[in-house]
Amino acid sequence: MPPAAALQDDAFDHDAALQACARGDREALRSIYERETRYLLGVALRIVRDRATAEDVLHDAFVSIWERASSFDASRGAGRGWIYSIVRHAALNRVRDSGRETMLDEPATAHLDAQAAFAAWQESGDELARQASLGRLGHCLDSLEPARRACLLHAYVDGCSHSEIAERVKAPLGTVKAWIQRGLRALRECMQ
Amino acid sequence: MSSETQQPQPPDDLHTQAGEYVLGTLDESERRSIEARLPYEPALRAAVDEWEQRLLPLTTLAEPVEPGASLWQRIAASIAPASRPRVVPARIRWWLWDSLALWRSLTGAGFAATAVLAAVLVVREASPPTAPRYFVVLAAPQNQSPGWLVQAQTEGRLRLVPLGTNSVPAEKSLQFWTKADGWSAPVSLGLVKPGEAIEVPVDKLPPLQPNQLFELTLEPYGGSPIGRPTGPIQFIGRAVQI
Repeated sequence: MPPAAALQDDAFDHDAALQACARGDREALRSIYERETRYLLGVALRIVRDRATAEDVLHDAFVSIWERASSFDASRGAGRGWIYSIVRHAALNRVRDSGRETMLDEPATAHLDAQAAFAAWQESGDELARQASLGRLGHCLDSLEPARRACLLHAYVDGCSHSEIAERVKAPLGTVKAWIQRGLRALRECMQ
Repeated sequence: MSSETQQPQPPDDLHTQAGEYVLGTLDESERRSIEARLPYEPALRAAVDEWEQRLLPLTTLAEPVEPGASLWQRIAASIAPASRPRVVPARIRWWLWDSLALWRSLTGAGFAATAVLAAVLVVREASPPTAPRYFVVLAAPQNQSPGWLVQAQTEGRLRLVPLGTNSVPAEKSLQFWTKADGWSAPVSLGLVKPGEAIEVPVDKLPPLQPNQLFELTLEPYGGSPIGRPTGPIQFIGRAVQI
């Protein structure tokens, strides 16, 4: 699999920064913050959909990164992915705990959603740039049935629950659940 | 595609479940169950790690957002050494003695049964031998008297021993919960009957952490219907490493 961070400059060593955090080096956490926070805040904001809540999520996630840095195991995956997973799960826990329901009156155009962002990726002319951002994952998603792809994108990027996805793709809940499971299986197969 | 439609794979296979966990589409109880299993199931852990790496490029579909100037200051304040949370309120610090007999005598001699509104947990990590030992003192918000003692006697189990006979209103149950920092919600450790010792399996939970929260809440008879606390807190406290 191509490196996820291909668009990022590769000079920053996330693993080393996390290991320094584990030794109590607060400057190392600061360096991760300086490096990643605008991207992480973007990821969290898409999921929680409220600026102040997204900053709260970032705060909690960075404290969590600091406290759990000693449990980071570089052999299990790269540090950058570990950091993003902490932020995403903190954001997901926040919206699931608050019991956010499908917002039927949410204007469809209120934000650029994941489908639109993926369409922009598909339409970008430069194969090198496409490869650098989504890489193999992008091509595997491209080969999925559009409805299944939409379900996966709304879940991962927009933080949508099953019922929110059903609302966005105008399909019954049971169908959405089946699409997600089949989409995941197809994606895993494609990327192996 | 058609063969896939005719012969769907079992929906609960490990990789799909891990994928749904990473996507975020599991409901709250499924999600918490996965989180509790992760430390103990390497295959599940590996499947989740694979999905985290596999889907990570999708984070580039979210537009970057500049943080407010104060965000780093908040984080820095939270990780400063002086701001570490105190592990036990000062007014109950004097209770930290590891003696069941002492607690029994204290309760018998010093506290009327109806006044016993607090629980005391003495928790030891049974294994490995060098594992940290913990006290957990649970106190009612308005009354700090001891009511229960909990010990880890065999690996993966906590034993809850009553020190007095408190009571629970009819049609109500006392439910026991724990939540460590970083967990999204408390996990039920089961129902507690006044005056009766119980053993609680905790082998599905991550190891006890310093400052881990324990509480007993008053719930509808049979326990909370929604899997998380709904009633008033009767006793509350945090794990203290000794």
